[in-house]
This record gives sequence, structure tokens and C-alpha cells, in this order.
Amino acid sequence: MRGAVLRYRVMAYITGVLIIVICFVGLPLQFAAHNNWIDQWLGTVHGYLYIVYVIFAYLLSRKLKMRTWPTVLLLLAGTIPVLTFLVERWMTRTYIAPALADDAAGAAQQPVSR
Amino acid sequence: METPGPAPTAEGDTLPLLSGQVVPPGSALPPPEPPEADGAAPQPAGRAWRFVYRPRWVAWHLFAFAVALGMLWLGDWQYRRALGGNGLSWAYTFEWPLFAGFALVFWARTIRDEYRQRRHGGLSETELGRRAAAALSLAALPEGAMLPAGELPAGMTVRELQLSLRAAQEAAYDDADDPELARYNAHLAKLNARERRKALGAGKDRIL
Repeated sequence: MRGAVLRYRVMAYITGVLIIVICFVGLPLQFAAHNNWIDQWLGTVHGYLYIVYVIFAYLLSRKLKMRTWPTVLLLLAGTIPVLTFLVERWMTRTYIAPALADDAAGAAQQPVSR
Repeated sequence: METPGPAPTAEGDTLPLLSGQVVPPGSALPPPEPPEADGAAPQPAGRAWRFVYRPRWVAWHLFAFAVALGMLWLGDWQYRRALGGNGLSWAYTFEWPLFAGFALVFWARTIRDEYRQRRHGGLSETELGRRAAAALSLAALPEGAMLPAGELPAGMTVRELQLSLRAAQEAAYDDADDPELARYNAHLAKLNARERRKALGAGKDRIL
């Protein structure tokens, strides 16, 4: 569980940062300075890292037994600026923290049970 | 195999009896609970598949195929751009079909999950077998063998017995001097309440 969460978080931050650079640095440069180097190359890099993000996010969603539409939102979050980070926070609050607390409580509970 | 096991609750929400716990002596048994909503009960394979024709699911099938076709079309568009001399488009030419494939895998798995939910109440084969074995061994016990004499009314089903055992154990369990255990128990109670609400709403056919 912890490994899956870590893989998802690493990819969420990478794709999240990339898309912010593309949208808030690359696009202004393209239109103001007619320099589309950042957009073109980072866009391609983001495209392929997004595949990795989708895989890790999907595996995590299976582990957390998420329903369909929350999972779709989670997967699409890697393509929309800022949303990646908001969704990561929402994931932590709604799914990851309770699941990790469950794991920890389950482990702590073992010797207590009569 | 059709099993006389208890109607399944959420996975992981195992009944205390199955982990080898016994009811504390002297605790009163509460009245048996009403049966759960139909949606939570396991169904035979033929009936369990029928949900795929329901309007909401048909809409979901159409949506999934529209999305996959759209992605293939985008891949084709990038292919034409790549042939037109845009070198970077080659990267996207191969990417869009991958996404289209993923969309179809995702769609297929939502159907498989729903089928399993309806067929087995969402429990894995292993968990089903474990629960069935536990329930069978319980039913084979002479009446009152594990319990203080007179605490098990004649004619009580295994399901009712287990629910009662769980309720009695919860009532008798004192977690006041252990804040961490109290927090864990509060969390379990919250999860249980949520599952009950879900079971009540399960009659409606829904994707979410």
C-alpha cells in the first residue's frame, strides 16, 4: 500500500509540475515570443510521463477500491493544470489516509484481540 | 457452490467470531437484525450479468466506446500531421491508441467488478470459502457449545447468531482507557454505518 501511494505521489508531482510549466511558461512564451520549444518538447515528455501516471494512479485506485467516477477524475487530473495537486490532496484526505490508518490499526490490533 | 454463509458485508469487515473470539459471559443478545437490501445479496451467474442491459450501463458502454473511438481518431489525426512533416506528432501517434486501449480496459474492469459484486457480494473466492467454512463449523456445534448455557435461542440462524455475537462483543468491549483503540473502534463504527447506508441504497442501479 505504501509503495503504491508513493509511486502515485511521485508521478502526480512530476506530471503536475510539468503541466504547470507547459501552461504558465510555455504557452505565454509561444504567444508572446513565438517560441514554442518548451511546449513542444515538454508536451511530449508530459505525454509519456502521463502514461506512467495513469498506470500508477489506476493501480492505486484498485487498491483503494475506488468507484468509477472518482477514478476517472483521478486519472484525468494528470492533464489539467493545478487540478493534479488538488486531487492529490483530496485523495490523501478521502482515501489514502483512512486506508493507511486502517492498515496501522489492523497491525496494532492483532496482539490485542482475545 | 451455494454456501449457507452469512450475507456478506464489506470486505475486510470480518465478523469477530471468525477471528476466534468469543462472546463475553453475561452479555444480553440483542434482537436479530432485519435482512439486508437485495442488492447486497449474491445472485446466480445468469441473473448477475443482467445489469449490462440496464439503461445506465448501456449509456456507460456507449460513452466508453465513444471515448475510445475519439482517442483513436486523435491518433489518426496526429498520424496525418506526422506524415505532413510535424516530427513531434509521431510521439502522439503512438500515444493515443495506448490511451484508447486503456479506456477499454478500464471499461471492461468496471463491468467485471460489478459482476463480481452481484455474484459474490463483492467478496473474493478465498474470503467466501473462509466464511462458509466458519459458518459450517459453527452450525455443526451442539447448541450452546461455545456460549454460556441458555444464551443461544433455538432456531436462530447462523447469520443472526453472528450479528448478535458482534453486537454483544462491541457492547462489552471497553476501550475507554486506550485512546488509540477507541479511535480505531470509532473508525470501524463509521465504516460500518457507511456500509449500511450503501446497502440501503444498493437497490438502485448505479455505476458510481
